[in-house]
Formats: sequence, C-alpha cells, structure tokens
Amino acid sequence: MNSEGRDWAYSEKVKDHFLNPRNYLMGDESLFEYDAVGIVGNPVCGDQMKMYLKVGRRENGVEYVQNLRWKTYGCASAIASTSALSEMAKDKTLDDALKITAKDVDEYLGNLPKHKFHCSVLGHDALREAISNYRNETKGQSEVE
Amino acid sequence: MWYTIYYMVYLDYAATTPLLKEVMEAMHDAEKRFFANASALHTPGHLALNEIEDCRELLSELVGCEPDEIIFTSGASEANNTVVRTFEGHVIETSPLEHHSIIEAARVYRGDKLPKLYSYMLANNETGEILELPKPEEGAFLHSDLTQVLGKLPIDVKKLGLDYATFSAHKIGGPIGVGALYVRKGAPLKPLIIGGNQEKKRRSGTYNTIGIIGFKAALLHVKKYKTWQEYDNRVRKLRDALARRILEEVPGSSLNTDIAPGRSLPNILNMSFEAAEGESIQLYLDAGGVIVSTGSACAAGDIKPSHVLMAKTGDAEVAHSSIRFSFGIENNEADVEYVMKVLPPIIDKLQKISTIVRKK
Repeated sequence: MNSEGRDWAYSEKVKDHFLNPRNYLMGDESLFEYDAVGIVGNPVCGDQMKMYLKVGRRENGVEYVQNLRWKTYGCASAIASTSALSEMAKDKTLDDALKITAKDVDEYLGNLPKHKFHCSVLGHDALREAISNYRNETKGQSEVE
Repeated sequence: MWYTIYYMVYLDYAATTPLLKEVMEAMHDAEKRFFANASALHTPGHLALNEIEDCRELLSELVGCEPDEIIFTSGASEANNTVVRTFEGHVIETSPLEHHSIIEAARVYRGDKLPKLYSYMLANNETGEILELPKPEEGAFLHSDLTQVLGKLPIDVKKLGLDYATFSAHKIGGPIGVGALYVRKGAPLKPLIIGGNQEKKRRSGTYNTIGIIGFKAALLHVKKYKTWQEYDNRVRKLRDALARRILEEVPGSSLNTDIAPGRSLPNILNMSFEAAEGESIQLYLDAGGVIVSTGSACAAGDIKPSHVLMAKTGDAEVAHSSIRFSFGIENNEADVEYVMKVLPPIIDKLQKISTIVRKK
C-alpha cells in the first residue's frame, strides 16, 4: 500500500496496536503471576522486549500459553509488534507458539516499513526464550510426573 | 476525508516553519505576475529578476554583507555542499555537532591540501546550543551554517569573521526549496551546478523566482518585526516555562538544552525522558495533537540515534529517549498548557510498560 492519503507513518493495525496495546504489563512485574521470562534487545540499540509467560496444561497434557504479558522499551513498531505477538501467541500450544516468526507478526500487522522490520520485531524471540527457559526450569519436574 | 481535523500544537519549528500568511500571499501573487524566466531579456523576465535582486539586497542588509556576496540555492544542504566541495582535496575541519550535509560532504571531499576550511555552525539545530566559532589561522577559510540562527539572533557575517555562511527560507516562515549562501568577495567558490551561468556563474539553474519571492516576504517579516527580539522575549518565556514545568511535573525528565540566557537559541528545548523511547513519545504526542521531533534512531529510519546528542552526552539511552520541542512566533501560553495536559500521562504509561526500571 502506498502512503498517499494516510495521515500516519504506519498501517492502521500498527497504529491501533501502538495506541491501544494488548496484554502489556503496567508497572511492577509482581502484578502478574508468571512461570518464565524471556528478554531480548538492548536499550542502547533503542529496543528491548521482555515477555512474561504463564503456562497452562490442557486435559490431554499438552502445555499451552495460558496467559502472557510483556514490557517494551522501544519505538511504535516495537510496541505494536510485541502487542500483536501477544495476541497471536495466546492459547497456542508451546510448540505452535515457538513457530511464530517475525514474518508472521509483520503480516498480522499489515506490514511494517522495511527499515523497521529487523530492529523492532523482536517479541517472538523474547517469547521463544521464555518458553525455552520454562522448559529448562521444568525439565526435572515433568520427568518425575 | 483523508484528514482528521484535530487541535494541534505545532512545536517542530526547527524542522520547518509553517508559511507566514504574507509569504503565501506574496507567492500566490507571484505565480500570476512573475512566472517568466528571470534570465530573459524581455519585460516579464526583467520584472521577475527585479524581485530576485530585491530579496538579495534584503538578505544582505539583514546579515551585513554586499548583495553580490549572496547566491541563491535550493536550500541549506546545497549551500553547505557547495562550500565543502569548493575545498575538495583540502583539509576540512568540522565538529561532530554539524548537520549531516556538512559531515557527509566533508567525509567525501576532505584531503590534505591547504588552505584549510573550517565549517562550524553558530547554533545547533537539535539542542539549540550556541557554539563558539573557531579563529582560523592566516589564509584559512571559515564557513558557518546559520540556518537556525537567521531571525533568532541578529547576524553580522563580517563581525563574525565569516568567509561563507548558509541560510534557509523554511526556518523563518518561507518556503522549502530556497536557501542562500554568503560568499565573501574574494573567497574561492566552485559551482556545484554548472550550466546556464545564473548567479554570475556561481550557481546555474533557472531562478526559483516564486520561491525567492516567498523568501523575500519572510525576510521582510524578520526585518519589520526584528523577530530576534520577539524570540528573545516572548518565545524564550514559553520555552523556559515548558522546560520548568516538565522538570517539575514529569519524573525522569532531564534537559539536553542549557536554557540559561546566551547559551542556546531561545526557541529550542531538547529533553530526555528516562525509560521512555523517543519515537513512541513522538507518536503518542502526535496522536494527542502535539507535534515534536526526536533524536531516537527509529524515527529517522537509522540504526544510530542522534549524532548530536551522542557527541554531547555519549549516552545512547539519553539520545533514544530525547524529544525536541522547537517554538515559533505563532506559539502561545495555551500551547504550553496543552502540552502539559498531554505529555505527563504519555511518559507515565511508556515508563510503566518499559523494560527499563527508572532509577529513583
């Protein structure tokens, strides 16, 4: 889509997720009960995301993203893409959540400007790290079960 | 249907000013009356040329030089490039606070020959800081980019000891696409654009008559109202009031501009907001009707944040979290009130969702 006639540098969906972000964690992290955390990026580079993961277990024993919250220091597309990812990942099994790529987030948002893509779409990495941390932490426990 | 009409407080004057009413009127009138090629010998051409020469005279009067020492360009970047390229292969000294049109041109053209060119701006566009010009050795040349200074401070290029100076129309209520270069009589100049020998062979290309007429109207405004006095009194008060209120009411805010008199242009205020990122602040403010700019990398589509704030502070977080509020003569107290209604909750929200925990 060309930008003519638009009054905003990003797509309407990015604007919506930026101005009305979903699932963010406001204030102290103790306000949300979580099982694992993942963090990516660096404030020095201008973007950092932190993903807080609460894992649930379905009746068939499959673990899924029961809930999640995030924090971001970053630009509009960083906030929007983390918000979008949180919507996409919710209720997915951990295995399916791991399959979400930056490209999926980009498509979900109706495409970010090209120069924004690599630096700001990092949320899925934070989620992967959270899932991996969760699995490492619970390795021993699931074997006992 | 494309435009959302909303209350807007424009505080990005250092980037571009809105056109003054008299500029719009002058340009609109010029479109009908002075459309002819100003190089032509016929009457309409000559009438157009008269307008251009009027503008040249007016600018030279305002900056303290001879009309012949002024060349019109397409803007400040062209003027800066022209000077730097004149010294192709020579030693070129600039500061890291310069505009990219100096820094990048110097990177391309500098060499080791003498005489040397010094290019130092008198006031910085991002922080507003007023800088000291160097004292070049005998035989060396001095250029200063005065883009942000015109209209804000009285200018005398001779007293400043300049060989070259850059000016732009769109920072004083004139149109984008018009600038001027002061070249001291006797100083070398290599034309950047060669062709039809306009501007006494110093800058070719058909005269931008309508743009230059707009520049003239803006310069007339500067002269008539001695705008530097209004900036020094009324605009400075607005800037300082906003700075004080932000420092008092927004936790984690800090100044990147020294607002003490004489230390900065009276219309620029650069601040950082700990744990909140600049582009997000800028776009939330935009959604709230406040128009500003940021030194954050993201906003420029760049990897690195503001080279000016990096040079000044060496702290990438400060640069990424910076916002520049730049005032113009149209601003008033109600604008400051409005910013103070919109800004604090934005910073609070961004700080609360930030991964960075603010130091107490």
